[in-house]
Parts: sequence; C-alpha cells; structure tokens
Amino acid sequence: MPHLAALYKTAKFLAHEPSDAEDLVQEVYLEAWKSFHRFEPGTNCRAWLFRILFHRLHHLRRRQLKSSKVESFSSPAEPDTLAATPPVPQDIRDEDILQALAKVPRDFREVVLMADVQEFSYKEVAETLSIPMGTVMSRLSRGRKLLRQELAEAARSYGIRAGNEGESA
Amino acid sequence: MKVLNFDAKPCERVREQLDAYLSSELMVETTATVLKHLEGCPDCSRELESRQRLRDALRRAVDQELPPEHLGETIHRRLQQTRPRFTWPFRGSSPSRSWMLALAGLAAVVLVGVTFQHGVALRRGRQLVASVLTLGVSDHLNCAIRGHHYPDVARPASELRAQLGPEYAPLLPVVEQKLPGFEVLEAHICTVPGSPRKYVHFIARGRGTILSVILTRREGEALPSDVRLVAETTGGVSLYENHLGGMDVAGFETNDYFGFVVSDLGQDSVVQLAAVLAPSLRTQLDGG
Repeated sequence: MPHLAALYKTAKFLAHEPSDAEDLVQEVYLEAWKSFHRFEPGTNCRAWLFRILFHRLHHLRRRQLKSSKVESFSSPAEPDTLAATPPVPQDIRDEDILQALAKVPRDFREVVLMADVQEFSYKEVAETLSIPMGTVMSRLSRGRKLLRQELAEAARSYGIRAGNEGESA
Repeated sequence: MKVLNFDAKPCERVREQLDAYLSSELMVETTATVLKHLEGCPDCSRELESRQRLRDALRRAVDQELPPEHLGETIHRRLQQTRPRFTWPFRGSSPSRSWMLALAGLAAVVLVGVTFQHGVALRRGRQLVASVLTLGVSDHLNCAIRGHHYPDVARPASELRAQLGPEYAPLLPVVEQKLPGFEVLEAHICTVPGSPRKYVHFIARGRGTILSVILTRREGEALPSDVRLVAETTGGVSLYENHLGGMDVAGFETNDYFGFVVSDLGQDSVVQLAAVLAPSLRTQLDGG
C-alpha cells in the first residue's frame, strides 16, 4: 500500500492517543479512494494523502476538544525564550529523541515531522497544513530548537557529554 | 588556544541558514556562500554536522515505528466494501481488481521519495544539485505556471526570434526539432522577482501539459562531478534530476550555461527529453 508506513508514523506522533493512528490511516485511504476523481494526475500523490491525513487529524481534534479529551485546540503561542541553541548530544538514543519529540508542542512537532522526517519541501508543508510559508519557517526554527533543548536536558540528566561541549572552547 | 579568523557575524548569518541548507531550500547563490563559509569555518561545519546528526537520529527513531501488520489488510478489506465516487473505466472488474488498478494509478504518479544517503560529500553534492535545479524550477513556476506568460496559439517564429535576439535566436530551431510532439508557444528572456539573473525561456505545449526549456548563464557555480549524483550521461553531457516545487526537473551544464527541462511529466520523461536536447544545445551554446 503506497505510503502506508509514512502516514502511520506521522499519525502516531500527532494523534492525541497513539491508538488513534490506525483509525486515522484507514480513514485516509478510504477518503482517497472515495475522492480519487479529485486527484490531479501529475501532482504529488504523497502530498495529497498527507493533506487528507491532516484534515482528518483536524477533525479528530475538534471532536476530542468537544468531549474535553484534549486541553486546547492549538498550542499557545510561546515567547521565544531560547536565546542560545543547545548543543546536540553525541549519542542520541531512539527512546530519548522520541520522548523529546513528544514534549514539543503539536504545532511545532507537525512541521518538524513533515520537513525533517518526511522531507517535504517548505512549500509542500505550507500547502498540506494550510498555513503560510513564513509560519512554516518560524515553527520549524522553534520546533528544532525545542527538540534540541529537550534532548540536551535528557542528556544532562544522564550525564552524557553534548556534541559541541569541550570541542570549541 | 584556537585562533578564529572570522568575526561572529558571518557565522551567525550562516547558522541561520544551515537548516534551510540541509533542506535544499536555499537559492544557489546563498548555497554557494554557505559552502564557502563552511570550507573555512570548522565551528560552523561542526554545527552543521550536529544538525544533520539530529535529523538522522530523529528519522531513524521515527522509522522504528512500523504500522501493525494487519493494517494494510484491514484497509484493503474496507476498500473492497466501499464504492469510489467515480466511474471506473474498466467494466466488469471486481472491486479487488479495481483497487489494485487504482493503486497502480496512484503508484504511477507517486513521486519517489528521497533516499537518504550518508556521507558529507554526497550530501553536500545533493544540496548543490538541488539548489542549481531550483533555478530552472523557479523560472518555470514564476513565468510559465503562475504568470502564464505564453499565448494560447504559438507566436510566429519570426516574433520568437526577435524576442530572443541574435544571441539566442539560433537556439529556437534546435528546441523545435528536439522536442517532437511539442509546440513551442513562446520564447523570451525573463527574470524571477528578487534576482537579477536572466533566463532564456522556451515554453512548449505537448502531452497534455506545459514544458519549459530554460537556459541561464553560470555565475561561477558548477554542478558537482560525483557520478553518484548523475542521473544519466548522454553525448558526453551529464544530466541531473530532481522533483522540486511539485515539478520534475532535469538539468545539465555547458561551458557557460545551466540548462533545464521542467514539467510535471514525470522524472523519467523529463530526463529523456533533456537527454535529446542537451547535446545539441551544448554544441550550439559552446560553439556559438
């Protein structure tokens, strides 16, 4: 099934409950199948499936918001308090980075997943999420910084030497 | 004690661009500036490697999350029970067969994802190829697609030659002859807003879509010679390909120019067309 794994992984890290990911991906393919006539040959099929995924995610969050399963619909705008970019630890364990990713607010997490994991262009991310390019870039910058901050904190708690520490003093 | 041979500001500016550089989102001029700085700045090179390491680790960790084995089968079963909202052109085919055909249709237009390859040199080469190919894609999108700067009926050849001027008019018959099945609607010199770079732009129609053949003078930039980055070599010309901004692009270089074929025909078709055009255009440009 084309793009099943990519859609599932993205859904799993963005859904409020990881178990929602399976349902979401099923809905994506059903929606794509039903509205295949709307797909324009020559355009990007993968991006089209991801647009459906984000539409379904949006819909799911609304439902959960109504039933108070999630705290707020959108991550609150936070002031950029990260003056310096934290160093990246030398040894990054999968579980550490996944935990760090989970702590990044959803609005930032989704652009990081789309651009840095799924390797969509900034323009494709903007179109898929229906947000301006400038917003994509600012969220990416903030999201990557937050991820580094979370990782650096995890590394400090384990006493792991960060990548740039001690090298450029 | 380490002696730094630059002040803080160039590093600051380059570091602001490093993530966009890793994502192939920089214009070729900015990429060249970043690469030049990286060559002489070990601190920024280390920072770049840190950011790449973080991306690698993130991608690797997310890749561990595989969908449950039954998910594909469950989706397949649900699809068999659901009728699509369009008339399938193959009469009498079963839902299962229809789904397989729909999948084949989807797969035909699926763009092959970027296969991530390790190695700094290869990665930098890929970034550079993408940033050069972005030149052609930017002009195609700006002028032909968004700007629709071509007529519905092809302009007379005399008009096109006049628009191209004596330097580029001899390229018109080359493009016309080497693009069988396409009609050259427009040929002119154009620019993309925000850049003084000039493009020699041929806009053709065929196979149900619009295609651009674009040439622009090299301004000190060069495509990397690493054979791993070359899609095809034809008549001594190396062709490079990518999918950028929703378009398929094939590019090549001559002594003084970059050449591009840009369309949404699919990467294989675009590379095949470029393979026919590139040797003749190079002969014309280098010999002229």
